[in-house]
Amino acid sequence: MHRLARGREHVVATVDEIAPGESKVVPIGRHGVGVYNVNGKFYAIANYCPHEGGPLCVGRTHGQSVVDPERPGGAAEAREGEFIYCPWHQWGFELATGTTAVKPEWSIRTYPVRVEGRNVIVTA
Amino acid sequence: MSQTLIDERKLGTEQVQVRVVDSDVHPYPRRGELAPFIPGKFRKLFAARGEGVGNSVFYDPPDYAHASAMRVDSFPADGEFAGTDPHLTFRQLIMESGSDIAILGPLNSSGGQTEEETHALAVATNLWQDNCWLDSENNWHQRYRGSIVAAIDAPDLAAREIEQWAGHPYMAQVLINAEMRPAWGDPRYNPVWEAATRHNLPVACHLGRGQHNELPMSPVGFLSYNHDFMVTYSLLAANQVMSLVFDGVFDRFPTLRIVFIEHAYSWILPLMWRMDAIYAARGPENGLKRKPSEYVKDHIWFTTQPLDFPEDKLELTNALEWMEADKILLFSSDYPHWTFDEPRWVAKHIPERMRERIMFQNSIDVFNLPSTVPALPGQVRAF
Amino acid sequence: MSSAPHPLIDASVHIFFKSDADLRGHMHEPFASRGFPEPDVAWFAPPGKKYAPGTANPDGSHQASDPETVGRAIFAERGFDFAILHPMSGGVMPDRHLGAAILTATNEMMAERWLDTGVYADRFRGTIRIDPNDVDNAVREIKRWRDHPRIVQIGLPLQTQEPYGRPHFKPLWRAACDASLPVAVHLEMGAGITHPPTPSGIARTYSQHVSFQPISYLYHLMNMITEGVFEEFPELKVVWADGAADHLTPMIWRMDTFGRPHLEQTPWAPRIPSAYLPEHVYFVQGALDGPGDVEFASEWLRMTGKEDMLLFGSSYPDWQLASPEKLPSAWTDEQREKVLWRTAAGLYGLPAAVPA
Repeated sequence: MHRLARGREHVVATVDEIAPGESKVVPIGRHGVGVYNVNGKFYAIANYCPHEGGPLCVGRTHGQSVVDPERPGGAAEAREGEFIYCPWHQWGFELATGTTAVKPEWSIRTYPVRVEGRNVIVTA
Repeated sequence: MSQTLIDERKLGTEQVQVRVVDSDVHPYPRRGELAPFIPGKFRKLFAARGEGVGNSVFYDPPDYAHASAMRVDSFPADGEFAGTDPHLTFRQLIMESGSDIAILGPLNSSGGQTEEETHALAVATNLWQDNCWLDSENNWHQRYRGSIVAAIDAPDLAAREIEQWAGHPYMAQVLINAEMRPAWGDPRYNPVWEAATRHNLPVACHLGRGQHNELPMSPVGFLSYNHDFMVTYSLLAANQVMSLVFDGVFDRFPTLRIVFIEHAYSWILPLMWRMDAIYAARGPENGLKRKPSEYVKDHIWFTTQPLDFPEDKLELTNALEWMEADKILLFSSDYPHWTFDEPRWVAKHIPERMRERIMFQNSIDVFNLPSTVPALPGQVRAF
Repeated sequence: MSSAPHPLIDASVHIFFKSDADLRGHMHEPFASRGFPEPDVAWFAPPGKKYAPGTANPDGSHQASDPETVGRAIFAERGFDFAILHPMSGGVMPDRHLGAAILTATNEMMAERWLDTGVYADRFRGTIRIDPNDVDNAVREIKRWRDHPRIVQIGLPLQTQEPYGRPHFKPLWRAACDASLPVAVHLEMGAGITHPPTPSGIARTYSQHVSFQPISYLYHLMNMITEGVFEEFPELKVVWADGAADHLTPMIWRMDTFGRPHLEQTPWAPRIPSAYLPEHVYFVQGALDGPGDVEFASEWLRMTGKEDMLLFGSSYPDWQLASPEKLPSAWTDEQREKVLWRTAAGLYGLPAAVPA
């Protein structure tokens, strides 16, 4: 796969190419950058887990468990699709910020994304 | 030598130093692959019982329905389970992560309802390893070592199985289950230790999880989640260590080597203090020849995965120094399980003074491994 | 030790009835005529001395059954200023009614003989014993004693059918918090309904048995953390009264290491596990605990916050009898002061001054 140079703007996709709930890994930098569409908003993260170096974007996105006494089992999923979970150790990170409430010092790298016309543009 | 040789599964003449021995790697049989090796008497029975059965997991690791307790990226493209493709394991673990030698520990041998059944599964698993992983086609690179799986709950049959496979060029250890009651100090297990020491093979145990006899029963009742269950699993190993020591197994078998796989290890530090304190207070009543901690350091090894990760790394370094980790730890990755430890990451966290002993030298000594292996062009070197 | 600049607290002194007949004398019928074990049974008893030298009574009554003898030993001879009494019973009874009758008699005996009368009454503090298999009755018993000025703790057995995080124990934690009393969990003596003492069944030696059993607190503690007990009861304080605090360090590292991914299964306990330890978890520091008199003992005590969790306890009159002289010399003065006095004084609300 052709590697793209780092530290500049890249048109990585058109908006239709990454539907809500979907993602695309683009070959920027050493590990690649994952571009995610969460309910119409685009986010970009490094395809690299800061814990042990797992390929983060192979992991599944889902929400976060929260207490909900009204539901059977006492828990519910909140903010569906807003977190990426590493395919190795299942550590979760918020796509928008790259961080977690539990251990904020372990954060993933995020990149600015903007949409211009039909283009999704990542600065990475 | 070129990449083409790897594609063609051919070795050149160049040798390289072994820098990483991975003492915990799991191969799984593809669907139907084990059945032909099951002794005839049990083959039909197991097949009949297995008809239509589904998942039996309880104490589920995170996101189980999607990850099956595996590294999600370790499932082969053919739809089979993680760890079923010897070539994928070779590529991900040996070529891309830098484990030079992988000691295979199959986990498909438990689950028998009787001792004879467990033994039959052990027999099948050994034949399957020999045919499907350690054979010249799949072990062309000579980087795989197997485990002589033995049914510890049938000690005489287990000893026979050890005799059967001892001397195999690629069988590096005896592998037993850790959960069977009673604990290992019981003299009923003597035949197993006897057979293993006769052939200078270490005896390793991996944690498993089945029903009843294959499940560690906490003395205060069942834990609630995989989290508290998995963490407290170490206490089973701690108790086995105490049984081995206080029941005098190492006095009975002075060359016995025991390897605890995936039971964690930092608890051995306070456990050695505790055993020594009890020995000092009550020693003579056990008839031991030495201090408990000395038996540990001479006879017992622990694999590193999952590497404990305290907030302050200096605390880990100190604990490793105080326990003399350079004498008792063996690197392991646990590939392809979800708790996989990357060799490069582990090497980075081991104090330099101990790094070579823990990453490879202790394992070379414990498992009688070669210190060089045929080179593989393009292989990642972990450190 | 009497020249110490601060009071000394012995956080673990075990007391007994004088005899089986003495206990029965404190019980009413139909229970007084029932069959139940005494605290001393042969099953996994130490094959040598069960009790420390000098603790036997000339009249043949049980060790640590006479307040004056115990007071003299703890305060006059060993130099302590306060002692937390933790009565031992004869085991967890299958019949909860019988169990309640025994434990209530035990609590009444402790109050009458040790806390309300006698020359050392103002230096003794008591632990009331309750049966976790009968939560309703246990809550009643806590309410009954909570206003007694010298009751400072609730005592539970380590051996249970289920770990203490399970939800049916919640009323106990609520009652303990309402009463502002810490809960001490200690191995029960005697015989009774327990699972096998180790995950691999019974031990073959006393050494293994006595080494493993105290470590079982980890099952309870880790279950309480994952079940969110300390989240729901932020005031709850638990004392693991058989020691083995050293095992907390590696085991909480391990629990934290697996904390992040597993938190998704336990949103009722959303913090990293080690965050639930401070102000909630305490240990009696006994004779078998610690790394010995080594250079790094102070650093070890600091790790994972143990220096703020330990309470020195002698376990008088047990054979394991611990002495402050044996505490590691590398501990700092501040660590020593915390373990021998300050932490226990805070936990049990004891005065900073030595009673006259």
